[in-house]
This record gives sequence, structure tokens and C-alpha cells, in this order.
Amino acid sequence: MPDKKLILQSSPHFKDRDSVPKIMYAVIVSLAPAVIASLYFFRLRAVILLLACVIACVATEALFLWVRKRPFHSLYDGSAVITGILLALTLPPSLSLELAIIGAVVAIALGKQIFGGLGYNIFNPALVGRAFLQTAFTADMTTWIPSLTDKIDTATYATPLGLLKFQDAVAQGILTPLKNLFLGNTGGCLGETSALALILGGLFLLFRRVIDWRIPLGIFLSLTAFTGIFWIADPGKYASPLFHILAGGFLIGAFFMATDLVTSPLSPLGTWIYALGIGFTIGLIRLFGGFPEGVMYSILFMNAFVPLLNRYARPRILGERRKE
Amino acid sequence: MSLSTRMVAVLTSVGLLSGGFLAGVGLLTKERIALNKQQEIEEKISAVVPGTYSIEKFYEEKDLTVYGGKDKEGKLIGLAIHASGMGFQDKITFMMGTNTSLTKIFSLAILEQTETPGLGAKVDDKKSFLRFWENKDCSSILTLRKPAASSPEELGTSEINTITGATITSEAILNTANSSLERVRQLIKEGKVSSEGQDAN
Amino acid sequence: MPTKTIREEFVKGLWDENPIFRQLLGMCPTLAVTNAVINGFAMGLATSFVLIFSSVVVSSIKKLIPNQVRIASYIVIIATFVTMADRFLAAFFYPISKELGPYVPLIVVNCIILGRQEAFSSKNTVGRSLIDALGMSLGFVLALLILSSIREILGMGTFLGHQVMGSWFKPWIIMVLPPGAFITLGILLAIALQIERKTKSRR
Repeated sequence: MPDKKLILQSSPHFKDRDSVPKIMYAVIVSLAPAVIASLYFFRLRAVILLLACVIACVATEALFLWVRKRPFHSLYDGSAVITGILLALTLPPSLSLELAIIGAVVAIALGKQIFGGLGYNIFNPALVGRAFLQTAFTADMTTWIPSLTDKIDTATYATPLGLLKFQDAVAQGILTPLKNLFLGNTGGCLGETSALALILGGLFLLFRRVIDWRIPLGIFLSLTAFTGIFWIADPGKYASPLFHILAGGFLIGAFFMATDLVTSPLSPLGTWIYALGIGFTIGLIRLFGGFPEGVMYSILFMNAFVPLLNRYARPRILGERRKE
Repeated sequence: MSLSTRMVAVLTSVGLLSGGFLAGVGLLTKERIALNKQQEIEEKISAVVPGTYSIEKFYEEKDLTVYGGKDKEGKLIGLAIHASGMGFQDKITFMMGTNTSLTKIFSLAILEQTETPGLGAKVDDKKSFLRFWENKDCSSILTLRKPAASSPEELGTSEINTITGATITSEAILNTANSSLERVRQLIKEGKVSSEGQDAN
Repeated sequence: MPTKTIREEFVKGLWDENPIFRQLLGMCPTLAVTNAVINGFAMGLATSFVLIFSSVVVSSIKKLIPNQVRIASYIVIIATFVTMADRFLAAFFYPISKELGPYVPLIVVNCIILGRQEAFSSKNTVGRSLIDALGMSLGFVLALLILSSIREILGMGTFLGHQVMGSWFKPWIIMVLPPGAFITLGILLAIALQIERKTKSRR
């Protein structure tokens, strides 16, 4: 890396054998269960979208490095591959190939390289790409197909959260069973349907200490508290916290998106504020917003606060006086 | 002349000149602007109440205006309800044509909307939304079909189709339509809106 | 004190002091009404009308206005022309006026106009002020046209309402929404800065 001048953390500094590529490859390994689950549930559609996103991300990265006359070094660190996989996993299976490619190009170009490449971006690149697609092609991004098929049916099909939001699923008794949410046999984005696969990958990352345990825990706690209060108040109208944890993009967001090392805060206090904020915003959007799902916007929203949190929730330097 | 007198004099004369000038411009364009607005409304009324020859305004309140469409002989052939209600982004204003006894909707036309292009904005699109409003039975409350049906034939006689991905917008229009129908029924009872006339069908 | 030729006075508005790309003035209409070429163009013309006439009037009565009330006087003069433009559009171009909505009256607070009065017309002759206003207006219209063309073509697949992209093209709706305005303007500014840097280093 040519820019090794700034380390924004107080001492002690440990030197260990972790390196950017090593961390990135651990993330790729941890995504394997989710990728396999998506291949199982959505067959050919998953293969096409995953390949398209990864190739487009890497190609865009290479193009920018070439234009900016930077060494191709950072192409091999795997970060573009991760962005590609994460983006693909958050796309609806029925999305057409060219839209997926547009999303991938935007993710790398507007989400990452415009800010100066890996380490400089404010927002999670994969989510920038997805947010762009969501706004640009809303209809395509909200068309879903049932799992265990790769056929695109024109009949509309709702995700578990869509049923909850627009068809009053709790009162009507058509809420998706938790077992389906856990295993993944339901509609939704490629990689978010199977809670089991995501939890396996997340535990691997926690075990390897690649991600900060405070982030998934904080998001989990605040979302559970928020949805729990309403559920206890009126279980005939609101879904249980467990449903909110297993449905939609919560798990992929909490384990793989919010924990992005570049776009999450440095200090423990900042991390707690960041994580609790994400969970709260998810609950707010899901229960009272116009969209059925709010994980993407919540993470992007809190990403914007990270520079601020790094400044104000800085740990005290050893010997520094507490401010009056 | 002292400075303050000069300041007052300059500002006053600039203000007076500008005011006089604008008064002239206002006078010149006033009629034309009113005409533009009226023309737009008249066009929509004739579109939603087929066979309209002349128009009479029956009643007006906030967010609701009721017009009557008359044929060549001056006989009332339908009502045009000009109503607005909150959509997803902002107010949506539409014109709904009904028969005089308020049991049937001829059709619906949108006058103003600022919904999301490609989604909610489809309310102004014949193929995705407006055609599902043609010839609907509105003697009972209109309901929304969720998820959307693909053709008008699949819908019930007083069922309206949702725009895929814009449930909130579709619901907003439906609610405004239901509440304004209810209000007009009440107005007819109070004698504020005339329903004398012959139904087209 | 003229240091520039008449030609330079005119040309500077097109690039060196372009109100949008170089001075970053008038961002509100730039971002808000460039969702279609016709809107951007109408906005550009309305602003140009106000700018040109305000500049001429201000520069011709600049000696009469006491320094203390100059801003107030400028605003009244500008507001007069804005109201004229607004009424004129509503009377003769009703659909465009409806589309532009509150943004025509908002020309009053467009920094380009007040900025040119303060920085130029109040210090220069009528002739030079006119040339300056013409140049700035053209620069503004061109910038709005570039921005709105990109947004309309990508966002609707049309140019001036005519289909220009094939049926394979799926409109990027984000481009006609506010985020599209920011993204497009950001990219255009980056390109403008890059061009400026290149030409400077060559000089």
C-alpha cells in the first residue's frame, strides 16, 4: 500500500500477521455457506448474478486503477470480489443481467474509487450499488420469485417482510413460518433467505476475530428491543422480534455489511453507538416506514456518522485528562 | 439632500416603479392565466364524463369541487368530482367522472401528481392504472386488489388494481376516491349538489 | 478600469467564470429543474431574461442608488423581472410553468443574479454589464442543458420528449430524481476540475 502514513488508533499497536488480503479471504470463506445456499435455492439465477457482479466489480476496479495510474496491487486483495459477492447476494433473483452489472459498476465507481479506493470510502460499496439500483429500477428490485426454482414468473410474489408490511400478515395469519426463514426456503434476495447459512458464516468471522462482535450484538439488541416493545404491546398486529431477526437482510447486514472495517467506527464506544443506531433505524423503517425492509438504508445512514463518531467517541489517550 | 432622505427616496421610487410595472403585467396576463387553468379543468371534465357539452360548477370546498356535465339539451348526464388527497410524496389531484346517481364511475383522470417516476407516477398511465378505473360500480365502497391483477377482467365490479411497487400511492387514491364519493352523496342529500338528470347508461 | 476586451468579457462566462462549473452558484435550480431538457432550457431562459434586464437596469442607475440600500434596491429590481417572467410563463407556456412550479419565483434568490449585480453591474458601464450578463446567461443555459440532457437521456431514455434510446434500454429512474442531480453534477464538476487542471499545467 502506498499510503501507510496514518494509523488513527491509540497505542498499544500490535503487529500481527493479519494483512488486508488475509482478512478479505477470510470474509470470502465466511460467505461460502450463503453462496452455496443461494445456489441451492435459486439455481442458475444465482450463478449468473454472482458471476456477473464479481466480474463487473473486478473489471471496474481494474479500470479505475489503470486510469488513476495506481499499482494493480489492490486488485489482488480480494476487496472487489467481496463487494461483488455481497452485492449479488442482496439482489432479487429475478434481476436481469445488465442491471446487476450496472449496480456492480456503480458500487465500485461511485461507492469506492471516487473516494480514493479501499480505505477511503465512507459508505459500504456493495450497499451503494444496491441503493442505486433500488432507486433507479425500483420495480425490478422489488419483484421476487419463490425459491427452489430458477424460472422467472410474472406473477407477483411477496417477501416475508413484504407480506408483513403490505398485506397485514400477522392479522391475516399468513406470516411466513420461522422454520422457512431459518432454512431459507422463502422469497427474498439471493443470499438473505437462509438464516442458517448466514449465521454459520458470521460465527466463523467472529471466531477468527475478523469482525467486531459489538456490531452484530448491538444491532441485534436494539432491533430486538425496538420490535419487542411493539410485539408485547400488540402481538396481534406486530411480528415477533425473532421474525424480524430471521427475515429480510438483517443477518447479512449485521454480519457482513455493517462490519466492513473501512466504514465502521474505530473505538468501542463509537462502535456501540453505530450498532445500536443501525438496529433502531431498521426497526423504525420496517414498522413505520414506506419500505418493507430497512437494513440497507440503516447501514448507509449510520455509515455517514462514522467520521463523526471517530472524532467524538475517541478513546482517551493514556494520561489524557477527562474534559470538564 | 441628506443621505437618509436620498435612501428613502430611491427605495420608494424603485418600489413604486416596480409595483406599477407589475400591476400592468398582472392585468395583462391575469385573464389568460385564469383561462389556462379553466381550460385544463374543462378538458378533464369532458374526458371523464363522456358526452359533456356544457359544465356547471355545483359545489366547492377544500380539496373537493363538484362539477356537473350536461349534454346539448342542458340535461345533466354525470358528475365530475375534482378531489385531492395525500399521496406518497405530495398531494395527488384527480378528476373522477360518475353517473348522476353516483353508482358508477365512468373514468378517472389525474391532474396533478409528483409521485416517484416509474412507480407511483404510473397513476397517470392509462395502461398501468387508469384503465382499471373505467366503468366501476361505486355504489358500495371501492376496494384494492393486492397483489395486482394483470387485466381488468380479473377484478371484481368495485375492485381497483394496485400498481406493483406503489401500494401506498394506489391506496391513497382509492381512499380519496371513497371519501369524496361519500362526501358527494351527503352533499346530494343536503341538496347542495344536483343529481337531477338521466344516467348515460 | 476595463482590463478585458469586450470579447473576453463575454467569453469568461462560458468557461473561466462559468456560474455553475466554476463559481458553483445557483445550485438550487441547477439541481431541481434539470430532470428534463425542456425544463432546464426554460429555467435557463427565464434566469437569463432576469439577469440581462437586471444588469442593464442596475448598471444604468448605479450612480443614483446610495451604497447603503443597494442590495435592497437590487432585490426589488430582480424581483420585478422574476415576477414578469413567472406571469409570462403562466400565461403563455402553462404546462412548463406548472412543471417548474415554485422554482421560477425562486430565481429571485439565485446567487448568480445578485452576485453579478454586486460584483459587476454596480461597477461597470451599461454596455459591459450587458455583455457580461449575456456571457453568464449563455454559460448558465449551456450548463443546464448539459446536465438536463444527461439526466433526461439516462433517466427517461428520451431527449426533449423524443425517444432516443432503443427499446432495450431500461430508464435509470434515479437520474430524474434528486439523487441523480447530485450524482450527475458531482461527476461533471470532477470532469470540469480535471480539464481545468490539465489546461493550467499546460500553460
